[in-house]
Amino acid sequence: MNKPSSLTVLSGLAILALFVCAAPSAWAGDAIVVIVNSSNPVENLSLGDLKKLVLGDKGRWDTGKAVAPVMVAAGAPERAAFLKIVCGMNDADMSKYFMQAAFTGKSVTPPKDVGSAAAVKNNVASSPGAIGFVKASDLPGGVGFKAVKIDGADSSEPAYKIKM
Amino acid sequence: MQTAFARSALRLRRRRTLRAIVSRILSIGLCLMLALAARAQQSSSPPMTLDEATRQLLQRVNELEAKVKQLEEKQPVPAPAPPAIIAPAPAAPAPEPPPEVEMPTTNEVAPRLKLIVFGDVGAQGYTHIPDTFEFGSLDLFMRARLSDRVSVLAEVLFTAENDNSISPDVERLLLIYRQNDYFTASVGRMHTWVGYYNTAFNKGEFLETTTDRPFMYAFDDQGGVLPMQDVGVNVTGKIPSGKLGLNYVAEAGNGRDWIPTDEPAQNNQDRNNSKAINGGLFMRPEKFSGLQLGFSIRHDNLTLPGPAVGETIVTAHAVFVNSNWEILNEAVFVRHSANGELADTSAFYTQLSRRFRTFRPYLRYQYFNAPSDDPVYVNGTPNAYVPLNVTTFIGRLNGPSVGLRWDFTEHSALKFQYDRFSLRGLDSENGLTTQVAFTF
Repeated sequence: MNKPSSLTVLSGLAILALFVCAAPSAWAGDAIVVIVNSSNPVENLSLGDLKKLVLGDKGRWDTGKAVAPVMVAAGAPERAAFLKIVCGMNDADMSKYFMQAAFTGKSVTPPKDVGSAAAVKNNVASSPGAIGFVKASDLPGGVGFKAVKIDGADSSEPAYKIKM
Repeated sequence: MQTAFARSALRLRRRRTLRAIVSRILSIGLCLMLALAARAQQSSSPPMTLDEATRQLLQRVNELEAKVKQLEEKQPVPAPAPPAIIAPAPAAPAPEPPPEVEMPTTNEVAPRLKLIVFGDVGAQGYTHIPDTFEFGSLDLFMRARLSDRVSVLAEVLFTAENDNSISPDVERLLLIYRQNDYFTASVGRMHTWVGYYNTAFNKGEFLETTTDRPFMYAFDDQGGVLPMQDVGVNVTGKIPSGKLGLNYVAEAGNGRDWIPTDEPAQNNQDRNNSKAINGGLFMRPEKFSGLQLGFSIRHDNLTLPGPAVGETIVTAHAVFVNSNWEILNEAVFVRHSANGELADTSAFYTQLSRRFRTFRPYLRYQYFNAPSDDPVYVNGTPNAYVPLNVTTFIGRLNGPSVGLRWDFTEHSALKFQYDRFSLRGLDSENGLTTQVAFTF
């Protein structure tokens, strides 16, 4: 069997280097940034707390304001990713969860569905108890809301867990 | 905060630009190497040494880097990125937001009222019961939020009775006040917090995996032995317990009426001054999402045609439910005491199911054993499980059920279930049930 030439080996290494270099941008998904109203003192949430807030298991912030989750309507990839990572559910599961919660007498309000990331930001900015999420690329622009850290990590950090 | 985010965005942009340049250089380098390699393979001249090739490549990379730098210098300097975030809401009016497309909220028949309808129809055939197409139930479930803290829940149920009539039944009517996560009070007609199943599933067959409730949780007006409904007050909430996720439940109500001709729930007039008291604790540990462990203790004094009977009901449950798995385990112990004599009833069920896409096969085993001299259950109504000629079942019932649920749409499910029960003193019962359950 012929030994591979040095150039072939070098080419292989270069391909490997190319992959390693290109991988972070190609493989790592866009972060999903959790936002709350800018008057909300919360700066950091655990993933468990975030799940409770979205699923109505925690109905009030420490300030006493009612929690009002808002999310972009079903079909958006960031919604599917968020539900999977944070709640371990898909849309049908969540729909059934809230139906059952209402049926069992729990006083929970399902997240409000809106049509776009801009509408999510707008809703969060206009409601003191609101919490929502948008893709990191949709974050710039708008006033009255702020991003919160999840488990101590900023959305630009590698340790950040909510990514598409 | 604003500056930090602006800096973070700039850092991100610089990183991306650098990465793009390096990727470009490496891509060109790679093409060059591949070309060189191809030429080396094809050429009849002796192959280059590694040093020569490396030197050529480095030289080429340097040239390319210089070229990229020149190109970048020619490009106009981009304006600094706008701040990603975002000062506190200013007093001035916010800029006009983009038009918002609201998705319609389903079943919103009035701005305040939300209506969900559950229904089920099916067919069943048991060994000692004629094969029957059956109207299961039509359940109108209503919920309205009256204020930030106050809401109303109402449920009107239409079910087929033993005489084939269909009659309405106000299943629940509750005014709910939620102060915070630690205190929620409800007053009205409710489903009792006796065990897990009774409040988790109620009458909505669509929400249940199986075609029916476990025998021990059969509705009291359909031959069930536990008090499933009551009129009174319920208080529930979290107990500050960190990741343990402790919750409490406390109830007081009129209790169950066991006079055979009466409605089991004492809606308008209690037969005695004694109130049924129920208390329970359950935990949902944060570390084991989907797990719930709990117990409840209920006491009531029952007024019967004979002597008064004290009733104590203890339940315990361990359930694990997530999107795929459903593992339900519950046990109940009932003690009736009259004139110093005790009659103990015990029951349990265990249910396991796993979802595979839209299919959910399941298995349930249940056991119920009541003494034949129980002073209360002789007043019960016939139960759907036992043959029609047996007016009251007291004794042991146990056996497995296997079935398959298929969610053929998001809001409708088809279920097939096979049951086999052993009944003390009676022939075994085999049954096949088909059910279509839906919600809209």
